[in-house]
Amino acid sequence: MTGLAVHFEGVGKQYPHFTLDDIHLELPTGSIMGFIGPNGAGKSTTIRILMGLVHQDRGAVRVLGHAMPAQQAEAKRELGFASEDLRLYGAATLAWHMAFIRSIYPSWDAAYAESLLQRFDLKASQKIKGLSHGQRVKAALLLILARRPRLLVLDEPTTGLDPVARHEVLGELMAVLADERRTILFSSQNTLDVEQISDQITFIDRGRIIDSGDKESFLERWRRVRLEVPPGVVLPSLPGIVGSSSSGRLAVVTTDRYDPAIAAAFQDAGATVHAVDTMTLEEIFIANVRNRRDGLAA
Amino acid sequence: MNYAMVKRLILKDWYFQRWAILGYLAAGALAVFLVGQGGEGSFYAGSILLLTVLITVGIHLPMTTVINERKEQTLAFVMSLPISAKEYTTAKILANVLILLIPWTAITLGSLTVIAGRAALPGGLIPLGAVVLTEILVGSCLLLAVALVSESLGWTIGAMVFANLFFQGFLYYVSHIPSIAATMKSPTAVWSSAAVTLLLAEIGAIALLLGLTFFFQSRKTDFI
Repeated sequence: MTGLAVHFEGVGKQYPHFTLDDIHLELPTGSIMGFIGPNGAGKSTTIRILMGLVHQDRGAVRVLGHAMPAQQAEAKRELGFASEDLRLYGAATLAWHMAFIRSIYPSWDAAYAESLLQRFDLKASQKIKGLSHGQRVKAALLLILARRPRLLVLDEPTTGLDPVARHEVLGELMAVLADERRTILFSSQNTLDVEQISDQITFIDRGRIIDSGDKESFLERWRRVRLEVPPGVVLPSLPGIVGSSSSGRLAVVTTDRYDPAIAAAFQDAGATVHAVDTMTLEEIFIANVRNRRDGLAA
Repeated sequence: MNYAMVKRLILKDWYFQRWAILGYLAAGALAVFLVGQGGEGSFYAGSILLLTVLITVGIHLPMTTVINERKEQTLAFVMSLPISAKEYTTAKILANVLILLIPWTAITLGSLTVIAGRAALPGGLIPLGAVVLTEILVGSCLLLAVALVSESLGWTIGAMVFANLFFQGFLYYVSHIPSIAATMKSPTAVWSSAAVTLLLAEIGAIALLLGLTFFFQSRKTDFI
């Protein structure tokens, strides 16, 4: 288990109107996981369980080798957490926050904090209540990055940021990734952000993890096959086909296990393969969610 | 228990409350001054101001350090620090009680000393004053307990209404206890068994409220 920064095993949490069910999640040390799901999918609940802020009803969670929630204080010494709904004290300055965090974490890197102040164009003497949303996000990020945590947990950190601020925040995260010992869990609805920085992808929907793996394999496996299907030709039922639609003679088939044999099988059946398109992470995410929801409805 | 972390959180709450506490101390000093003037009008005005200051500080602290921390979403920031839920609860209870005790002790001791030192004011008021002012401390601890356990503005306001109504009834009840009423105007303090019993009961109530807060907090599974 030493190679895993985060390990969820059969984790569940029951609320009156939402259930997080049987979550298995493994985040190897040094990897960057994009955690993608629609609103209400369970991303924040999963992250709160990871942080020990919410206690799971069942299952085991280990973070940096510590059992959660029992050993949350130990785990949080090496963990940086930023969330869309985490706020700093409005009445205090950023300098006060920096001094406060420095007094808690011996690993605080004052020189790095200073360089982040400049890169993020922040003034330490400014009160938090006078900062814009983007500046607040950057201030929160500065406070966690400058203490050099082993694990960064970012719950929708780019939500609500303007394109420039988003670019700066993502740029700094990319710089952080240069340290190969650093592990990041990055939750977002914005698949473009996730695609940019992650090497592992996990999709969650309606309280369940629906797919998880490394990004390259996702992008390799998922394909959209555009076909022309003459009248009378029936497409064979093949493994790995997760969706299909047609309009007249034209059909589009989506697969999560693409193999050239699939295109060959369609051609053998009498269809003409016009194109085999790669898919963006967003398209894969939507197809994945739809496939699962259709499966549940059927 | 990480005492260093608990201490930092207490100092953090003190940092945000320090000016307000100084304000309460100034208002309390004015109240004690008025009480000590000896005239009936100034004694009445001073007493009202004194009770108001102590009741207000007891409301102010849980509202700003507990309820606002949740409302303004700074609780997530605090809970992301290397602390356990138990350490958070310990820090919040200690911060609130210690910060509250600064104006409470100063104002209570100040007013009781003034009563004891001024010939125009009967020393018999001292036991009544001690019992009444300690009851305000019980009410403040009730608010803190409800605020911490419920984290709800509505429940805390409900507890505030209850505590204030209870205080009015308590004032009436205590001032009509024969052994206290009979000695209220005596030149020296008379510590009747009723007054001592009430004081001990109040201290017991404070311990019970804070103990129950720890108990309920330890059973909590969601902190945000």
